[in-house]
Amino acid sequence: MDFATILQQLGSGMLKTVGIFLWTLVLSLPLGLLISFGRMSKNRLVAVIFKFYISIMRGTPLMLQLLVVYFGPYYLFGINISGSYRFVAIIIGFVLNYAAYFAEIYRSGIESMPIGQYEAAKILGYSRTQTFIKIILPQVIKRILPSVTNEVITLVKDTSLAFSLAYMEMFTIAKQIAAAQTTMMPFVVAAVFYYIFNLLVAVVMERIEKSLDYYK
Amino acid sequence: MMKKTLALLLCGVMSMALLTGCGNDGAETANTDGTNETAEDAKEASDDKEAEDQASGERTTFTVGFDAEYPPYGYMDDNGEYTGFDLELAQAVCDMEGWELVKTPIDWDSKDMELNSGSIDCIWNGFTMNGREDDYTWSDPYCDNSQVIVVAKDSGITSLSDLAGKTVGVQAASAALDVLSDEEQQKALADTFGALQQFPDYNSAFTELMAGSLDAIAIDIGVANYQIESRGEGYLVLEESLNSEQYAIGFKLGNEELRDIVNADVKKLAEDGTVAELAEKYGISDQICLE
Repeated sequence: MDFATILQQLGSGMLKTVGIFLWTLVLSLPLGLLISFGRMSKNRLVAVIFKFYISIMRGTPLMLQLLVVYFGPYYLFGINISGSYRFVAIIIGFVLNYAAYFAEIYRSGIESMPIGQYEAAKILGYSRTQTFIKIILPQVIKRILPSVTNEVITLVKDTSLAFSLAYMEMFTIAKQIAAAQTTMMPFVVAAVFYYIFNLLVAVVMERIEKSLDYYK
Repeated sequence: MMKKTLALLLCGVMSMALLTGCGNDGAETANTDGTNETAEDAKEASDDKEAEDQASGERTTFTVGFDAEYPPYGYMDDNGEYTGFDLELAQAVCDMEGWELVKTPIDWDSKDMELNSGSIDCIWNGFTMNGREDDYTWSDPYCDNSQVIVVAKDSGITSLSDLAGKTVGVQAASAALDVLSDEEQQKALADTFGALQQFPDYNSAFTELMAGSLDAIAIDIGVANYQIESRGEGYLVLEESLNSEQYAIGFKLGNEELRDIVNADVKKLAEDGTVAELAEKYGISDQICLE
């Protein structure tokens, strides 16, 4: 296999990797916010349920969660799964897992807001929703951005876990080429691909951070 | 303030779009550059078909699960397509039946889950039937195999007894591992090893053998020959083998209907010489046991 073919194959795998990455991000960021609301709920029962959810998601390996999501329907309910469920299962697994982490990041941001801001908003006649959307959330986003960047970069690398469901993302393909060609070269190429991807993510996140720095 | 937040959100969305855009461009160049349809595209197309055929109840596809890191039986060829002795034979069967072959690479550790849950129709990939007779509905064996030990040429290991105290590598969930952990087979030998190290794939095992952190590898003879041929000099297959066994196609327990169809087709393919031709191509002629 010549180098161009390896690049092409890994390139097609990269596309799948980007697919997992974007879907996970787009779905788990909003879901994380909802979960953080649940976690901070004044209703004790709701708070405990979400606390338990986060504890499970953070306390078990993502690879195991992927296997459960994909094979669970058959082993728990006897439903035959088809090959087209593979990608859906991967996205569900990643989103559920990452939403739990994002929820805790949101919570750290929201709970760090001084109570005085709520009081001031109340005096100015803001409703609770208005207070949150117009005053609290913009500050929270600013504050949590570095932690979110951390998670996002981890996500890029975690996409390789999809190999446990034999999804043809970049790392799976790198492994297959390596086996057929009996060489370690595809891994080097894969490493470069991941690095470039993460560099891009880091640059974009830095840009966002800078543009949020409007008080300086 | 509100405007700025909005501008920011837009900025975020746009950078996302940029990222996606880049990705898509990559795909297009990949597709136009390559004259070959990638294995990937083929698989996806058939995933859709599969859904359709399940709805109508008629079999139009045949989904083979295989370990894509298992040459010469199933692997990715120089053009990035899945091929191998077993896959070509499966293709021949599909041609006879008018099915579309769906090549689904699986994680070998999850093969039972893939098969039982119905995401694949059979495991056809140098699949050893000995010791697993009751776990699957088997076709007739088509290939003789033996588990052998590969060592570095200059290691000084020439017989199984030399392996005492050495570190031996084996693929996780493989037949070689079964042989080495079965009391009635080579468990006694395995107990003399210094350590029995499990690997996810043979590529990393061979790299460790080269690097010296591993003294020997227990492996299927066909795979051993492929590895040694593509890696060149410096390896030795011990003459004493661990056992002899047979490859067959594994179907979900109780799926005799599909098994019988495939079995009959493989027999016909053996009679008209297709099997021998393929075996020749992949260098495993000595091992074929179909008459």
